[in-house]
Amino acid sequence: MSELSLSAQVRSGFFQATTVVTFLFLYLPVVTIVYLSFSPGSQPSIPLGGISLKWYAGVLADARFVRGLATSAIIAIIAATVGTALGLLAARTITRSHLPRWVRSLFALAIAVPLFVPTVVLALGIGVTAGTVGIGFGFLPVVLGHLFWVLPFSTFLLTARYAELDDALEEAARDLGASGWTVFTTVTLPLLGPALVASVLFTFALSFNEFLITFFLAGSGVTTMPLELFGKVRVSATSFLNAASSIVLLISAAVALTGTYLRTPT
Amino acid sequence: MSTAPSFRAIFEDRTTRDTLLAAVPATLAVALGVIPLCLLLIESFRPLVTTTNYLDVTKGIYVAVITQSLFVGVLLTVVCLAIAYPVTYWLANRCPARYRLPVLALLTLPLWLNYVVLNYTWVWLLAPDGVLNVALEWAGVVSKPLALLGRPFELPGVGLTVPSLSLLAGFIHIYLPYLLLTMYVSMERLDYRLVEAARDLGAGDFRVFRDVIVPETAAGAVAGLLIVYARIAGAYATPRILGSESNPMVAELITTQFYDVLDYPFASALSMSFLAIVVVGFAVGARVDNVQSELKRW
Repeated sequence: MSELSLSAQVRSGFFQATTVVTFLFLYLPVVTIVYLSFSPGSQPSIPLGGISLKWYAGVLADARFVRGLATSAIIAIIAATVGTALGLLAARTITRSHLPRWVRSLFALAIAVPLFVPTVVLALGIGVTAGTVGIGFGFLPVVLGHLFWVLPFSTFLLTARYAELDDALEEAARDLGASGWTVFTTVTLPLLGPALVASVLFTFALSFNEFLITFFLAGSGVTTMPLELFGKVRVSATSFLNAASSIVLLISAAVALTGTYLRTPT
Repeated sequence: MSTAPSFRAIFEDRTTRDTLLAAVPATLAVALGVIPLCLLLIESFRPLVTTTNYLDVTKGIYVAVITQSLFVGVLLTVVCLAIAYPVTYWLANRCPARYRLPVLALLTLPLWLNYVVLNYTWVWLLAPDGVLNVALEWAGVVSKPLALLGRPFELPGVGLTVPSLSLLAGFIHIYLPYLLLTMYVSMERLDYRLVEAARDLGAGDFRVFRDVIVPETAAGAVAGLLIVYARIAGAYATPRILGSESNPMVAELITTQFYDVLDYPFASALSMSFLAIVVVGFAVGARVDNVQSELKRW
């Protein structure tokens, strides 16, 4: 009996240990970069000789980085709000519309393309299309590319929520004489509310950090924050870059954790 | 003003309304997904109609690069699965219920962070004056910093290369959370009573794993494998930041052809060849019923 409980203990310890190691693996690099961003010198050495916020001030005073951050934020806000609205239309089509089943399946498949086709192939396709058809490169193509990229996430997040909704509620409102629009605004939208906000937050994080499609569509006119970071990362590793990275991680984590909190059923 | 009533009348019709509402997202998906893929296919046979581009793909280093990329993808996905199994098993069966969702949220948080930044963090961990080397020297394990960055290991005889430690770590950091998420869903559905029943009948740990846990979660694992190996094989930023110039991956070749060489037809042929392999993988995987339904959940 004691032998059995010993093996159970060992087993339990093994599972717990792998989880702890996984946590360390995922977060030690993040903690390191944040720690090093407080370095007083431009090339941090371990351990740091002191604590300084001057690189954060430097990042926020750097015109290129601030512009990249602002561009990314604007694109992400558009992608998140419009992408969620389009996702709502798409989710409604998949779950509630009276279109034939095969049409809805084909529709869902088309939306899901970015999940299955390797991103580099899609990015090249969109880049070549922009180049040959003549939409060109720049801000608008990047925004469209991001909308396309976030659409499956908002769609399937909202589809899941739509599927949980009791459609008897909508039916009841209709039976009581409410028009389609009234049912939508007074019954459906409030019920979808938290999922919609979560969708906006998650798609914001996705767009804010998107790199490869932007890389193929930006041209020379637009520089988003991930492009800016990628350009710098390959040249040098400095305290400036560590502070910039920490700011980006902080924004993304705050947005995503708020989204997770909202999506969790209470 | 005169068009308003008639517009409203059209919108009253259920099918018309459903079609119009579906048309907006569908246009976006077709214009940026379906049409570009079709254009790539056409482009890959240019100029006029020729198979030269595909013949070029079979020459030189390209086949080797595609094979190497797929090898890296499969190798790393298997490593990630090997980590995801015990972690998600613990999370679904051993972790106190109220900590389950917060822990899952933290384990999958890197999905929403910037992968350029996440890759960059490993430079500071593994560099000659990075955290790991400083710690090892301080502990007296090594006297000189180890070269942990950018040192791939060639497997003798098979023409495949195990990527450098930095590239392995960078890839796992980004793609492990995907598999943790999918495997958690599979583990959560696993009926724990089956495990207990097997134990009561005298099965050891290995047999419980092989005969109960693996069959019950295999479909989810295969679906995750199919998605993640293709993403790793087609990754661009990670090998650029953490890999070595001498061992390019397929996405780096495609990007170079697009950006520097400006050879759209060849870049298209390269992409289409890569896509074809990925699609065949899905087609084979999706023939299994359970895997197909798992893939639909993605």
